[in-house]
Amino acid sequence: MSLFRQYLAQRLLASAVTLLGVSIIVFLMVRLLPGDPAQVLAGLLATEEDVARLRADLGLNKPLHIQYGVFLERLLHGNLGRSARTSQPVLEELKPRLRATLTLAVVSAVLASLAGVAAGALAATRPYSRFDYVLSLATLFGVSMPTYWLGLMLIIVFAVHLNWLPAAGSEGAASLILPALTLAAFSVALIARMTRASMLEVLGQEYVRTARAKGVGETLVVARHALRNALVPILTVAGLQFGTLLGGAVLTESVFGWPGMGLLLIESIFSRDYAMVQGIVLVFSTLFILTNLAVDLLYVAIDPRIRYT
Amino acid sequence: MRTHWTRHRLSHLGLVALAWLTFAVGAGPAGAAGTFRIAVGVDLDTVDPAQMTTTTVANMVDYVIETLTAMSPDGKIQPWLAESWTLSPDGLTYTFKLRKGVVFHDGTPFDAKAVKWNFDRLKDPQVRVPIRAPFPIKEAEVVDASTVKVTLTRPSSPFVSALSWTTSAMVSPAAADKQGNEYKNIVHAVGTGPYVFKERKKGESFTVTLNDKYWGKKPTYDTVVFRIVPEAATRESLLLAGQVDLIVLPPIADVPALQRNSAVKLLLAPSDRTIFISMNTTKQFLGDVRVRQALNYAVDKKAIIQNVLFGAADEMDAPMAPSLFGYCKVGSYEYNPAKAKQLLTEAGVKPGTKISFHHPTGRYVQDKEASQAVAGYLREVGIEPELQTMDWPSYVSIINAGPAEKSVHQLAYLGWAPAFLDAAQQVLQYWSGYHPPAGLATTFYKNPKVDEWVVAADRESNQDKRKELYCEISKQVWADAPWLFLYVQRFPIVYSAKVTDVGSLPNEKFSAIYARPAN
Repeated sequence: MSLFRQYLAQRLLASAVTLLGVSIIVFLMVRLLPGDPAQVLAGLLATEEDVARLRADLGLNKPLHIQYGVFLERLLHGNLGRSARTSQPVLEELKPRLRATLTLAVVSAVLASLAGVAAGALAATRPYSRFDYVLSLATLFGVSMPTYWLGLMLIIVFAVHLNWLPAAGSEGAASLILPALTLAAFSVALIARMTRASMLEVLGQEYVRTARAKGVGETLVVARHALRNALVPILTVAGLQFGTLLGGAVLTESVFGWPGMGLLLIESIFSRDYAMVQGIVLVFSTLFILTNLAVDLLYVAIDPRIRYT
Repeated sequence: MRTHWTRHRLSHLGLVALAWLTFAVGAGPAGAAGTFRIAVGVDLDTVDPAQMTTTTVANMVDYVIETLTAMSPDGKIQPWLAESWTLSPDGLTYTFKLRKGVVFHDGTPFDAKAVKWNFDRLKDPQVRVPIRAPFPIKEAEVVDASTVKVTLTRPSSPFVSALSWTTSAMVSPAAADKQGNEYKNIVHAVGTGPYVFKERKKGESFTVTLNDKYWGKKPTYDTVVFRIVPEAATRESLLLAGQVDLIVLPPIADVPALQRNSAVKLLLAPSDRTIFISMNTTKQFLGDVRVRQALNYAVDKKAIIQNVLFGAADEMDAPMAPSLFGYCKVGSYEYNPAKAKQLLTEAGVKPGTKISFHHPTGRYVQDKEASQAVAGYLREVGIEPELQTMDWPSYVSIINAGPAEKSVHQLAYLGWAPAFLDAAQQVLQYWSGYHPPAGLATTFYKNPKVDEWVVAADRESNQDKRKELYCEISKQVWADAPWLFLYVQRFPIVYSAKVTDVGSLPNEKFSAIYARPAN
């Protein structure tokens, strides 16, 4: 257990250093973008004095290192500053957005993992069967289809023609269905392909033959002996996919008007809302790092051969 | 045993999922009775009138807060919270008589004290007011409960028109420190409007409910919900699925299909947004008026309007939109490539001459496509445009670079829409005092006569004389052609055929407060 604690402490420390690096990079990157936030915010009709006053108001007339110092000091107090566009504290703006994005990403991840693993495992037990071919075609479709197009097609079929589901918004559980399906499509396909390949490999192993030889039922062979051993690479892909789901939410959120962080990030970049962009990128990075950590910890739970070092 | 349990559990899950789906279908579409639903593309950045910059946001907030004067659908300025006003002979002091018996939603009386408080806030440098220039307020005084005297720092004829724009709308002074509000930042607007601020879900919706004590005509719907849907195709789907009643800006390529669809009505509302190509008169041969006229003759504006904008624009016939005070029709640069070539030859521009052409993507209706079409026409008369596009903030930083020596752009696709319908804000584009970095007159065009008229018109309090001056400016600018004059954009609004009494204002606002069910 002490080994575990040491490992965890090391990982958390490394994460903190990574986040500090991220904070510097994002701080500099938004400022390297051409465009004056004060000018963009004030609009075309504003006068030079109005723009200058706004620039001072936003603290953008100070030297860069002072601006970073202010940003870092606030960050250590858990304060991400105020949005230039809305004049509200960034943290307050982020909370509901994070909830919306996480809801969408988690539902999609669960959907993608369950459907992907089930379909992949089923295909692996019946290689080169009709089901296998259909699945391989479907997954090809899944990985190559643009999210944007799929989203609009689903809207046209299920909202406009059938009128079963809302076309946009996040009112009620029903509104989650289309965006979650859209977002999960790519991951389902990828996880299904990964599972099929990994399972096929495992099913050819000698211990599987041994298990069958000693009379274990086929379901149990697949579920207990094969799937568990095939799970490590699947978990890696699924873990990485969760990060992609968070990022991929940007397009999906925009198509479905889902009030998440992706949508906010786009708006914030286009209005050069530095504080908001920094806040969103930091939150995304934190989530990504935590997901990776969780995946690494899960490896150990699944595969006793993996140890903390 | 274990398998059995799992199977049981699975079927249970299936039932739950089925129930959830059924519930979902029932709860999904179909708005509650008495609710009018509108889908717009941008989220509210603020509900604070003083901080307002975006027309569509102002359009939503207008349901809650009101201004001293108001714009009618024909663009005329009419009395609103102010019943009448007089101007002192020196053009510096306005005296407003306020409407009596008006109260804010929180019960605070709307009176001279409230107006003074709002004007003091508008001029307070502590408060962020992005569009402060049209409001040169020096002092506001309470004369009696329903009379306010406003002194300006300089005579400004468009002031009364400017007061119709949301920036100067009235909020309750008593509510400025309640419901999350701060003096410097209003987040819960309490006004005098026909609807009351109910709820705002960021990135998702803004809901207002009927004000029972409204001083004017009461609207039909109890509740109005504005939904934030950035994607144009999704907004269109929401309308076609009957999940909202009105949308703005559908995908422009669908305009013909929407016109044919009897379930919806399409309004191509006139706007005051002029779309043009700014020609940097300090670069290359663009300083030569013959070249600038040649480029105007080279482009078939009618064909672009028809084929690229699907009819959602009108060709310019003056350097401003017809809806502005001060507009007079000046002429047209008809499509004449032969004449264009002849003028270019006279000016010594050789065929194949390269010119840089910047344009935004997605800022104005079909901006990228129209720019490409324009470039095609220019190629036909022997000019070789090099198209470049970028995101809006980067674009603004390029075209706004100044003074002239620092500017790099040559041709730039741009739109210009005065916030209130007065030529005063339009002619800034032709005034040398507005060259970057001071303003956005990106052509660096300078004509001493025009400069003089612009200043004179701003100070002139006789409206007829002011109109004459703007007409003079228009004629001169049209001949000097600092712009490649394209068109006045239209603002598409689509609404369900089940509702009626939906209109528009000429500054890209929908007018749907008095919408009601058809029949």
